[in-house]
Amino acid sequence: MAAATETEQFPCVLTVQVPFPTTRLASVALQSLQVDKELSPLVRRTFGISPPASDANTTGDQDKTLHVEYRATTNRMLRVAVNSFMESLNLVIEVMEHLDADVLAAEAHSI
Amino acid sequence: MAPLYALGCEGSANKLGIGVISHDPETNKTKILSNIRHTFVSPPGTGFLPKDTAAHHRAHFVSVAREALRVAGLASPGTSPASATRGARAWAPPHQRRRRRAHPMGRVITGADNPVVLYVSGGNTQVIAYAEQRYRIFGETLDIAVGNCIDRFARTLAIPNDPFPGYNREPVLLDLPYAVKGMDCSFSGILGAADLLAAQMRKQDALLASGGSLKEGEERITPEDLCFTLQETVFAMLVEITERAMAHVGSKQVLVVGGVGCNERLQEMMGLMARDRGGSVYATDERFCIDNGIMIGLAGLLAWETGFRTPFEDSTCTQRFRTDEVHIKWRTD
Repeated sequence: MAAATETEQFPCVLTVQVPFPTTRLASVALQSLQVDKELSPLVRRTFGISPPASDANTTGDQDKTLHVEYRATTNRMLRVAVNSFMESLNLVIEVMEHLDADVLAAEAHSI
Repeated sequence: MAPLYALGCEGSANKLGIGVISHDPETNKTKILSNIRHTFVSPPGTGFLPKDTAAHHRAHFVSVAREALRVAGLASPGTSPASATRGARAWAPPHQRRRRRAHPMGRVITGADNPVVLYVSGGNTQVIAYAEQRYRIFGETLDIAVGNCIDRFARTLAIPNDPFPGYNREPVLLDLPYAVKGMDCSFSGILGAADLLAAQMRKQDALLASGGSLKEGEERITPEDLCFTLQETVFAMLVEITERAMAHVGSKQVLVVGGVGCNERLQEMMGLMARDRGGSVYATDERFCIDNGIMIGLAGLLAWETGFRTPFEDSTCTQRFRTDEVHIKWRTD
């Protein structure tokens, strides 16, 4: 019998789109969040960066939205995985806000 | 050549430590510019759970990192070419850095030349000596770490685990097993036996509270005696395996590192042993013994100077990273 397709095995899907101000920040977030493997065999995830769907044609070729798609066997596993992702995302954004090179440089000048 | 700077982040247990360190490859001078730590303290009688600890580290990461930069006077990371280069990893979230066995930091702090190293913490108990670009493990615990044994017994007694409770009267040494096998040792049976004594103590408490009296000849057990006994027993074991390794290697120096290493009684016992052998003990205090960022920074910096790089996508953590896996390329002796 053919193996069940991914959609059948992992029916619960959630796609998170996180718009960033610049391509660089979107890429930093992608690399930071991607590096830790998804530990549960009951969850699959894919990362990508693309222009926001709504204004893909108006902003040109600037890729600055982080796309994360989570697929899980149950809604419970989906919730756990996405919650954990949100906690990491929160920290990444906080680090960008307070510890990015340009933020620190600007603060150093203002002192 | 200007000194290189590194920002080290440590968060593999309940301490979040971030520090800035500099090292001049030409003069081999090391300078600690900042060493900030924030500890997640769980209530007495409880341990720190991974979930709560992670939440603590996330909540404090930014403020601790900013404080480390402020104290180091590196408010603007662009002032040093090296820090900018290191920055790519330095600014990464804490779950991204690789946990490195960094306790040989002790050599820099204490000036010990080529010691036998006793590495005693909540996660590790190892007797280590350096040979041919690796820290070789001569002996280690066969089950739990000595710090874990102590912490868990503190939990049994529902007392805070920092610092070890002192004693202000002559304590009684109770009976506990002693488990040394060659240069290895074992603590889980000792913990079990200590827990049994603690249970017996509670029974005595209940009996006396209800107006009863102890059996003829039965010794009244106190928390002080229990702590004293556990400490003396496990430390004696550590001294024994360290002495055996020193005799084996032919070293007269012993360096005690790791969180348990800042216990002054352990340092005292180790000092007595080392003096008997015509040597000396090197130890540091809680700034460097307990988990901190600069030990990570220094190990990273020394490795960086030898050309070691970790690609971003490989900068993960592992719980199975042993002391002797690291190639100590920066030592040539």
